[in-house]
Amino acid sequence: MGGAVGLAVAGAGVAVLMPRAWDGARLSVGARDMMRALALAVLEDRLPSEPIARRAKLDDFLTRLESALASFPRPTQGEVNQLLTLLLTAPGRWALAGLRTPWAQAGIEDVQAGLNAMRHASLGLRVQAYHALRDLTHGAYYAEASTWADMGYPGPRPLA
Amino acid sequence: MSGLPDPIEAGLARGWKVLGGLHGALPSELACDVVIVGSGAGAGITAELLAKAGLSIVIVEEGPLKSSKDFKQREADAYPTLYQENAARKTSDKAVHILQGRCVGGSTTVNWTSSFRTPAPTLAWWRERYGLSTYEEAALSPWFLQAEQRLSVAPWLTPPNENNDILRRGALQMGITAPAILRNVKGCWNLGSCGMGCPTNAKQSMLVTTLPAALDRGATLLVQTRALKLEWQGSRASAVLCHAVGVDGAPTSGALTRLKARHVVVAGGAINSPAFLLRSEVPDPHGLLGARTFLHPTVLSSATFKQAVHGWDGAPQTIYSDHFLGVHAIDGPMGYKLEAPPLHPVIFSTTAAGYGVEMTEKLRAFPQTHALIALLRDGFHAQSPGGRVRLQSDGSPTLDYPLNDHVMDGARRAFWSMAELQFAAGAETVMIGHDHAPTMTAWRETQAMINRLPMKPLLTKVVSAHVMGGCGMAARAADGVVQPDGRHWQLDNVSVHDGSIFPTSIGANPQLSIYGIVNRLAASLVTQLGGQPASLV
Repeated sequence: MGGAVGLAVAGAGVAVLMPRAWDGARLSVGARDMMRALALAVLEDRLPSEPIARRAKLDDFLTRLESALASFPRPTQGEVNQLLTLLLTAPGRWALAGLRTPWAQAGIEDVQAGLNAMRHASLGLRVQAYHALRDLTHGAYYAEASTWADMGYPGPRPLA
Repeated sequence: MSGLPDPIEAGLARGWKVLGGLHGALPSELACDVVIVGSGAGAGITAELLAKAGLSIVIVEEGPLKSSKDFKQREADAYPTLYQENAARKTSDKAVHILQGRCVGGSTTVNWTSSFRTPAPTLAWWRERYGLSTYEEAALSPWFLQAEQRLSVAPWLTPPNENNDILRRGALQMGITAPAILRNVKGCWNLGSCGMGCPTNAKQSMLVTTLPAALDRGATLLVQTRALKLEWQGSRASAVLCHAVGVDGAPTSGALTRLKARHVVVAGGAINSPAFLLRSEVPDPHGLLGARTFLHPTVLSSATFKQAVHGWDGAPQTIYSDHFLGVHAIDGPMGYKLEAPPLHPVIFSTTAAGYGVEMTEKLRAFPQTHALIALLRDGFHAQSPGGRVRLQSDGSPTLDYPLNDHVMDGARRAFWSMAELQFAAGAETVMIGHDHAPTMTAWRETQAMINRLPMKPLLTKVVSAHVMGGCGMAARAADGVVQPDGRHWQLDNVSVHDGSIFPTSIGANPQLSIYGIVNRLAASLVTQLGGQPASLV
C-alpha cells in the first residue's frame, strides 16, 4: 500500500534461527509489539491522546497492516519478514536502529532516535529500512477513511 | 452505484468468454490463431484489430477483471487490486517507486489520461540511431489519428483544477509555455479519481473500448492467469504456458494451461514482457533482452499556498510544460517535462518526507498543497543506458536501474525549475522531494539549498509511472530484440506490442505512443496472418 518495502538483508543469518515475524498472514506477537511501538513514534500526535481510543486505533492499524502485507508479492513479503525478524533480535535492532531497549519497552523518543539513526545513516541498507518502516506505517494508516478528516481530505466525491 | 451502467457486467451477461478467477476454472488447453499476453495499451489495440480481422484470439491477463462498480475512488481498494505489487513495485535498490497497472486494461485502467503523440525529436533519434526509417511523423500520423478517434483523445475544455492552474500561472510568470493536455475521456465528470479506476467509465481505457470490442467478436479473456513461458523450438513458438493466480498474484493451483497458437503477441508491458521472454529462455544472441529499460525517472516538489488547492479534486493532469526538454540537446544534460499530479492521502503521506510532528504539519496543510512532477527523459545519452530487467529465484522480475550522476544532475536542475515556478506562482512554502530538504520560503535560498543537497538514491525521492524498453526495436538484429514491425528478431511468429519495444524513453506520457504505434504493428500483423482488413475506426 504505497509501502517502500524491502531489504535484501545481507548476513541476516541470525534471523533465520528466529521465529518468523511475518508468516504470510499474521505478524508474530513480537512483531505486533514492534510495529505498535514504531507506529506510536511515526504517527505521534496523529494518534488519539486518550489511551483506550489510541489502543483501538493501533489495533485497527495492525489489522490493516497485515492485510496490506498479505497483498504484496511473495518475494516482497519475504523481504519484509527478513527485515522485521532481524529487527526483533537484539543484535539486529542494535545494528540497524542503534536501539538497545527492546521494542515493547522503548519509549517514543527512543524509537524516534532509532528511526533518525537509520534515516541519516551512510549505509544504504539502514536507509532502506527507515523508508520501509515509515512507508508501511503511513500507507496502512492513511488508507483508512477515519484518518482523513484530520488532514482536510473529504474523501471521494459522491456519484449520486 | 447510482445506477451508472457497467459495460463489463453487461458484456458478461451477453456471454463474453471470460475464464479465470471467479469466472471459471482454466482449461488444460486452448487453441487459437493468436495469444495476446497482457491486456493493457498494446494488447487492447491488438485485440480489437485481430478480432475485427476474424482471427481467433485468447487474451491472458494476470490481474483481475474489475469494472466501474468496483472502482470506489479509494486508494485502499485500488492499489491491491489494480496495481503491480500493491502499488509498491520498486527497483531492486528500492530507490525508484514504480506505478504500473495489473488488471484488465493494464495501466490504461489506472492512468491519468494524459495523451501525447510521440514527440518528433524522439522519432528522429530512433530513425538516426536505430534505423527505424518508417517511424516518421507523417507516416505515423494516420495511425495516431485513428487511435485518437477510437479513444476520444481530445482537448479538455473544462478549466484546469487549481493544482494545474498553478503550473499554468507559474509558467506564465517565468515566461515559459504551458499548454493544455489532451485527454482520452468521454463525458468526464471531473472527479479526479482516474488513478483508482474510472467509476463512471468516462476514461476511454482499454477496459471499456477495445477489449469489449474484441470480446463481443468472440475473443477469449483469461483473467488472474499468469503467462509463465513460451514453448518454442528453432525459430517458432508453439504455445504459451500459463497458470492461475489469486488477486494477490500468488499461484492458486499447480495446474498448467497450454495455449496453442499460430502467433504470440507479447504485450505485458515493460518489465513484465522482457521477464516473460527471459523465463522462456528465448534466443538473445546480443544480450539485449531486458536491457535499456527506461522509467522517465520522476522527481517532485510540493508547495503550499494561501488558498485552497484540493489537489485530489478535478481532472488530474491537464497542463504541462515541455520548456525544459528543449533547453539542451536531446543527447545533452537530461531534459524534463513538468506536470501536476493528483494528490491523495496514501500517495502524499508516503511521498512527502519525514514522520511524526514534521509530517503532521505537512498533513495539516494538505488542502492547500500543490505538487509538480518533473519527468526526466532517459535513454538519449551515453550515461543514460537505463536499467536491466532480471529474474528473481521465483521467476518474477526485478529491475536494476542505477540512479547515476547523469540522472541526478537532471534531478537537481528539475528541483530548481519546479521550486522557481512554484514561488513564481505565489507559493508560501516549497518542499522539494528530498528526504533532507527543509521547508523553504523564498526562491533564492531554495536554490542555494538545492545546490548543497546530496543528490543520492533513497534520499532523492524518485518515482515512475512510465516503464518503457527492455525489448527494444531496431533495424538490425544486433541492435534490438524486435524488428521495426514488432516481430521478434529470432522467433518468426512472436511479436512484442507494448511500450517495451521503445528504444529510448518517449519524453512524454507514453499511452498514446503505444496506441498509435501498435495500431500500425497490429494492422501489419493482420495482413501477415491473412486476416480480413480491419481498422480501429
